[in-house]
Amino acid sequence: MKTSALFLTLLPLLVSPSLRAADACCPPALPAEAPLPAASIYQTEVDFTTDVDTPFHLAELRGHPVALVMFFSTCAYACPATVADLARIREKLPEADRTLTRIVMVSFDTERDIVAVLRQFRESRALDANWVLLRGADDSVRELAALLGVKFKREADGNFAHSNLITILSAEGEIVHQRAGLTGGLNEAAAALLGAVRSGEKSPDA
Amino acid sequence: MPRRRLCFPRPLRPLLAVLGLALGMGGHALRGGEASVIIPAGDYRPITRATSDPEAIAVAAFLLDILPITNAEFLAFVTAHPQWRRSRVSPLFADETYLRHWTGDLDPGPAAPADAPVINISWFAARAYARAQTKRLPTLAEWELAAAAGYTTPVGRDEPAFKQDLYTWLSAPTPEVLPSVATARATLHGARGLHGLVWEWVDDFDTAMVTGESRADVATDQNLFCGGAAASATDPGDYAAFMRQALRSSLKARQGTSSLGFRCATDLPPPSDQP
Repeated sequence: MKTSALFLTLLPLLVSPSLRAADACCPPALPAEAPLPAASIYQTEVDFTTDVDTPFHLAELRGHPVALVMFFSTCAYACPATVADLARIREKLPEADRTLTRIVMVSFDTERDIVAVLRQFRESRALDANWVLLRGADDSVRELAALLGVKFKREADGNFAHSNLITILSAEGEIVHQRAGLTGGLNEAAAALLGAVRSGEKSPDA
Repeated sequence: MPRRRLCFPRPLRPLLAVLGLALGMGGHALRGGEASVIIPAGDYRPITRATSDPEAIAVAAFLLDILPITNAEFLAFVTAHPQWRRSRVSPLFADETYLRHWTGDLDPGPAAPADAPVINISWFAARAYARAQTKRLPTLAEWELAAAAGYTTPVGRDEPAFKQDLYTWLSAPTPEVLPSVATARATLHGARGLHGLVWEWVDDFDTAMVTGESRADVATDQNLFCGGAAASATDPGDYAAFMRQALRSSLKARQGTSSLGFRCATDLPPPSDQP
């Protein structure tokens, strides 16, 4: 028994140097250091900027179930409805799960949605710290849109034609649900978000 | 590909160095000397547009790679960036079409000669390559502006020799093994192979068919293509542009095809401050 336990302990050392760091000596690796699942959009190399002007990599959302939309702050028609929907989805979660969840809004208006505009957006809508407002360069915005399947196009008047898509991400950044369109689907989105909360609890570093 | 003549640039074009290197050399050597050319500012006129869109989009001057990226160049990239090797790439960034004509992760093999354009590349991979060179993909407007030029004039579709070569290529099947990028004849601004070798990724390919209303997404785009495109076409005679538009609207960012490659672009450095 003792021998086999010793063998199992040493096995990683024998198999591969890369396993050794994770398995043999230390406490379990932090989630941030474990490799991301193959389907995690957090593998993207592009980064964003927050409404307090700090750089933000999407992988910083790791560990939090996420509801994510792409938007532009001057949008008069669809986006206010989307903000309201996001708030309603969040309200459907049990109180304890709400604080873990992050609501992420990424602007594709690279020109007008500067940091100060995003900050104003947060203040005018009284969005709390669980809301993450991001802007990015063309490169970043296009890549995220492609990963999510969001299509957008800047119109001549400066507004955007765009898909209305709320994406629910697991704690590891995998797309677990998408709600398309402007009506309905809030319960399904909330259920997916709750599922992401629960699966995150079961295996925090999976 | 016998119809692709080896060309000799006009003496005024600063391409002699490139041509000299091109003769009988492999992929990266082709890009020695001047690697990119300036595409002068101009107007891009989309072949289809929403009624709210402008007739022409002003495009600033930019730098465009003279040649499409070759297998040899892409091999150097995946060698330096293991996460982009065929066996390791995330399925989010490239599907099973990725580099499928290569023999192995670091072995392009007989179907992918060093100096032929690399194909079966996803949009994500093309962008990652460009980022690694501190470049980017050209936008659709930039690419189309560059590709509008003929051999000797800015408007290739009015040039009989250019048109003939273009339509010969469009009607020919893609060869199983692509020829060297050196076989492509330079057009007015010095870029080569924008036509005649492979189709090429552009950074905003996925906006090709988004018109006024994209809420209902893909299915609607398809519907719009049949009737809507022809109805609002600005130049129905530009068959090649329609083919490119149809191709782009059918692409997915994770998916490559056996006739789709890419090249990189860069902004022109800002004009230096006057003393």
